[in-house]
Amino acid sequence: MKDVLKRVVFGKREKYWWMNALVPLVSILLAFIVGAIFIKITGRSPVVAYKLLFGASGLFPGPYWKSHFAEMLIASSMYIATGFGFAIAAKGGLFNIGAEGHFIVGGIAAAYLGYAKPFAGLPKFIHLPLIIVGVMLAGGIWGAIAGYLKAKRGIHEVITTIMLNWIALYLIEAWLVIGPMEAAVETGISGTPYISLSAKLPKILPPTRLNISIIIILAVTFLIWYLFYKTTFGYEIRTMGHTLIFGMEAPKAAGINVERRTIQTMFIAGAVAALGGAFMVLGVLFQYPPIFEGGYGFDGIAVALIGQNEPLGVVLAGILIGALRTGATTVQLAHIPKTFPSIIEGFTVGFIALQMLIRYWIMKLIQGRKKSVQTEMGEDAK
Amino acid sequence: MNSNIPFLNASIAQALDYTAPILFAALGGVMSENAGVVNIALEGMMRFAAFFGVWGSFVSGNAWVGLLWGVGIGIVLGALHAYITVKWAGDQIISGVAINVMAMGMITYLLESIFKTTGYSPPVAYFGAPASKIHLAFLKDIPILGAFAELTILIWLALILVVVLHFVLYHTVLGLRIRAVGENPHAAETLGVNVFKIKWFAVISGSVLAAFGGLALSLGTLSSFTNSMAMGKGFIGLAAMIFGKWTPFGALGAILIFAGAQVLQLFMQGTATGFAKLIPLGFYLSLPYMLTIGALIGVVGKAVGPASDGVPYKKES
Repeated sequence: MKDVLKRVVFGKREKYWWMNALVPLVSILLAFIVGAIFIKITGRSPVVAYKLLFGASGLFPGPYWKSHFAEMLIASSMYIATGFGFAIAAKGGLFNIGAEGHFIVGGIAAAYLGYAKPFAGLPKFIHLPLIIVGVMLAGGIWGAIAGYLKAKRGIHEVITTIMLNWIALYLIEAWLVIGPMEAAVETGISGTPYISLSAKLPKILPPTRLNISIIIILAVTFLIWYLFYKTTFGYEIRTMGHTLIFGMEAPKAAGINVERRTIQTMFIAGAVAALGGAFMVLGVLFQYPPIFEGGYGFDGIAVALIGQNEPLGVVLAGILIGALRTGATTVQLAHIPKTFPSIIEGFTVGFIALQMLIRYWIMKLIQGRKKSVQTEMGEDAK
Repeated sequence: MNSNIPFLNASIAQALDYTAPILFAALGGVMSENAGVVNIALEGMMRFAAFFGVWGSFVSGNAWVGLLWGVGIGIVLGALHAYITVKWAGDQIISGVAINVMAMGMITYLLESIFKTTGYSPPVAYFGAPASKIHLAFLKDIPILGAFAELTILIWLALILVVVLHFVLYHTVLGLRIRAVGENPHAAETLGVNVFKIKWFAVISGSVLAAFGGLALSLGTLSSFTNSMAMGKGFIGLAAMIFGKWTPFGALGAILIFAGAQVLQLFMQGTATGFAKLIPLGFYLSLPYMLTIGALIGVVGKAVGPASDGVPYKKES
């Protein structure tokens, strides 16, 4: 048993690399099983619930597949963005729970750049990129504040990102949206004015609402992958992430400017998470409403964890969560609250936390099989 | 001047009311993290306990039964967190996130299943009712102390626990062991301390403290559960713990600054004149959070936690 455990813990990089993909898959599967048990206990039918959930998730073909599929991708692109908000920071050993703040900062920046006068008249091919750049700058700066305070003052990023979430929320929703950025009274709109036509994300699958947000985020995903695995910059950040728990000495000794990299990492994390808010404003709501539908930032943490902080993993996890949320409204037909998917999300993350145990189980399964195969062969030889 | 005393006392009482839930959460964090286990699930644990407290009180009609239910769920969640992080050396952050996410989904699910409502529960028996408050009438007219004349039992418990926890951590063998395990588990092991046992104890007792935080919200201040109630309080408790450098009194100090800013914000909103009136509401609302960051920059400086906080302990074999 000790032997197995040792191999599981130390051998994962080389021999059992596929474990890194198998563990999340098994976690998801286990979460669905536990979810079914939970539904059963409260007296409903898990079969009906899952049928409804997956039927409308957009993952499988069905009667309204096209629109479900579109809704799934719209939601997924936002979850992927906030997922990266956590994952990018985590690569550098930072714990960023500020994606919620980055998300709303991105939203308000997109709304402002979308309706404000000097920009609103520009042609789309100039206006839209301009907004995206502006949004990423705004979110990036909001993220970099926490990075700066961590690097220069040693203030734990957990506190600053929590505090910055609340500061962003109150400054935006208790000041900007009901003050300087409020739509004129006579228009009868609450929240900010609507963005101009040139700021809306182009649709790609009419008649559905699907827009290019999913393409943008996939392009960003490629850039992130390239940055982390093909450049010195990414290598340095990953080095920091690997050694951070033992103090920052090793990367420093290797000549890495840890302070600067910390700020840059938080900037990138904030910039990408802010894109999620921009997708919401530019592709779905077309304004910043009085109260933003939040939660994407915190779900982003789960997305990153399910995706093991790897670019491809984050995309797949984002699609999973997007699909669960898209199918969520229909489970109400089975008298199950639409927050049910977050139970599954919670259990999935829980099992991922238990990955040591799951790895151990899987190894035992494999090794047990091997052994029985060997004994069989041994018997044959006799 | 005299007319200001009731106002002052009421403000302080209000600040204390605001303090108690966050203080419980922060103390839960202090307990757990001094033994080297990060607990960002404080938020979710508060939420679970707030709901179970109301559920227990609803079923039995007695707030004390609700309290027991809340403590019970605290023990269960603590055991879960310890099982993942101590027994299987799982990532402490991931485990915490899992509990937080589950708290979101499961409580809404149970709320709708049990009370057939969305977002809130019916009112139940609670500790904030005038009859069940602790009355110290002789304090009533004294400035500042008068704030303590009519507090709930949970607020008193939170304040007393600060002293108790300080004593346990810094003046008992158990406390020494807890801190040793958080600083250097391998050395502690050599000295014959059962690292795993201590960690299990610290995580579960920390979760029970966090559960009290939730109970202070639902059964202390309000008399029902609402979906948005715990919003961020557990995270603020976590921040206060770090702000207070992982000590009970430090956490209390941090939260008092925070609560003070909160009350100041309400006061400014209500009675401000002239220039102060021109400042938008958003700035007042975000003031406590800005102050926290400001205080960290200016006063506290580098926050250094227990050396092996967050590092799973594995026995060398």
